[in-house]
Amino acid sequence: MSETAELEADLEGPVSPPRDNGEIVFAAPWERRVFGITIALCRSGGCEWETFRGRLIARIGEDEQRAYWLSWALALEDVLASSGTVGGGELEERHLRLLARPHGHDH
Amino acid sequence: MSEPDKSAVRVEALEALLVEKGLVDPRVVDEVIEHYENNVGSMNGARVVARAWTDAKFRERLLADGTAAVAEFGFGGPEGQLIVAVENTPEVHNVVVCTLCSCYPWPLLGLPPAWYKSAEYRSRVVAEPRAVLTELGVEVSPDRRIRVWDSSAEARYLVLPERPAGTDHLDVDALAGLVTRDSMIGVGRPLAASGDAR
Repeated sequence: MSETAELEADLEGPVSPPRDNGEIVFAAPWERRVFGITIALCRSGGCEWETFRGRLIARIGEDEQRAYWLSWALALEDVLASSGTVGGGELEERHLRLLARPHGHDH
Repeated sequence: MSEPDKSAVRVEALEALLVEKGLVDPRVVDEVIEHYENNVGSMNGARVVARAWTDAKFRERLLADGTAAVAEFGFGGPEGQLIVAVENTPEVHNVVVCTLCSCYPWPLLGLPPAWYKSAEYRSRVVAEPRAVLTELGVEVSPDRRIRVWDSSAEARYLVLPERPAGTDHLDVDALAGLVTRDSMIGVGRPLAASGDAR
């Protein structure tokens, strides 16, 4: 049974947060999204897992109080900025543009 | 809605740029998430443990080369390389942590729970494992050594817990039902066999 087959077999699923032994793994939709983006990038070769892991360790280490998935998101930004894939400037610009949308369109 | 969540919008912006650059397909992102939400969980690890309890040759293979042994079940892949199984014995109780981040055998246990990633667990289980285990309800007798395994990219550890007493009559599927996620991290024990165990 290949993983790809499993993936394609199950495209419909509940949108509730995953629970493992009753504990929520993702507290907000953006956390599961940034996880999915990272893994998809690693699979397509857009990001080396080991490089990402190094950045994640650095981001966790610089502020142990920061929420885990926030460190994760920052680490992904670091990887993409240092490889020149997504520059900090263009991300900032897009972020501000999306923030400026009328409220209610921010999902 | 009220104020937009800045982190959520940041991730949205990042994904939009990656999609425009042709580096990410949103459908693949959806598939990855669904896969980890629905297909990957600690039941995979439980099947591996139950097999090791009932099949001595498999147990040997698992302890010798965890990655190859779990691949017999079809478990593995890019996020689960280098699985190392460590066996609890009368002399040693094993417990797993990732001191630097959150390395974890995803294909066997699913994604790590929040406490596994917490600064408190990552630091305290190394400094005072016996105390942490006691707080978690796992009493390890004083004459038993506790080994703390620090997961990394080089090795993601899976604890092979002790088979509960009084389970000789159970088949491999029933045994798998006794294997908890926490017992495979070393911070819990398998469930006891009981008349009405599922």
